[in-house]
Amino acid sequence: MNDDELLTAVRDQRNKLLMTTPVEQVISRGRTVRARRRIRRLAGAVAAVAAAAVALTVLRPAGHQPADQLAAWTVARQANGTINVTIRELRDAAGLQSTLRADGVPASVTFGSEPNPACREYPGRWNLSQSGVQLSSGGPYILAINPSALPRGAGVQIGGKFDFAYSIPGHPQTTYISPWRPKSPVSKVVRVLALGAGLVQASPQCTGS
Amino acid sequence: MAVGTQGLDFEEFYRGSKDQCLLTVMVSVGDKDMAQDLVAEAFARAWASWRAVSRHPAPTAWVVRTALNVSISRWRRRRREILMPDPGRIEGRSAIGGVAGSSVDPRIMAALLRLPARQRQVVALRLFLDLDTSHTAEALGIAPGTVQAHLGRAIAALRDDLVRERSRETPP
Repeated sequence: MNDDELLTAVRDQRNKLLMTTPVEQVISRGRTVRARRRIRRLAGAVAAVAAAAVALTVLRPAGHQPADQLAAWTVARQANGTINVTIRELRDAAGLQSTLRADGVPASVTFGSEPNPACREYPGRWNLSQSGVQLSSGGPYILAINPSALPRGAGVQIGGKFDFAYSIPGHPQTTYISPWRPKSPVSKVVRVLALGAGLVQASPQCTGS
Repeated sequence: MAVGTQGLDFEEFYRGSKDQCLLTVMVSVGDKDMAQDLVAEAFARAWASWRAVSRHPAPTAWVVRTALNVSISRWRRRRREILMPDPGRIEGRSAIGGVAGSSVDPRIMAALLRLPARQRQVVALRLFLDLDTSHTAEALGIAPGTVQAHLGRAIAALRDDLVRERSRETPP
């Protein structure tokens, strides 16, 4: 048996072993994989913001605009008193902060920068969603604030920033999220929006009142 | 099943390459059912990242590499409980029962599985997936020269193995 005969004999084994998994089953599993990645990225982004009590950015004012105008953010008061904040881009933090304060929410908003150093964490153990603040997942981010449900003396701190999400060659199933662009070789780098909210002690220096 | 343009492209890729990928992974892990599970998972991840994978210079190599990574990850999770031997080192594994029911030549499969792991992977990527040396090297994370060396040794070992098998089967 010479090398050509050997290579031909080995190559002939192709297509003799059949993969019987239906493509629909593979795609169904792929949807699950994709959904889990999104959840992991979101969890990582929110955790990063919560841990760092990050600040944010904003671009142009957009308070109380009709829903069909896609501004950086919009603020809408609901009939039950809840204030919905929809954030699409990290722009004009000062404008959002002013709008919220005008609507009766003691708020401190920063995008892409350090949080207001005058703000102090609201003391005690509290659950954000049970304290009148709900943060949705995915984009655009929607923050629902019920001012009357905020604990006494509490304000809302909102922070947002962009992080870098990437994976390492050979390990595509693991997504890393970092505030810094990775220097070592990575397979792909994408910027992800991280948005977080928390309770702080209301004060003129932090929340305006 | 309507899956859009992305899904149609993926389906074409899946149907055209699934069998070669299965055989390639099978040669590495030594069990058809395990290989099918790993390859299905790798294709699912390819679907989830199809925009990137479809632009990969050798998407089949991506699938095989991912399947082998999944295999390693599972092995790491189980390593405290299960010792999984190199399939090529299993004595007396006749015609590798993992491919029973297929039309794969049992002598060739057995000879392949007697090769060292890296040589098996090089043979599979070069001969089953038709990858060139550089893509094979990239997929395995080794130098192109190492691929050539492994392939040369593997072909020599396979030839000796199969000639020996034939001489045993042929009465003097």
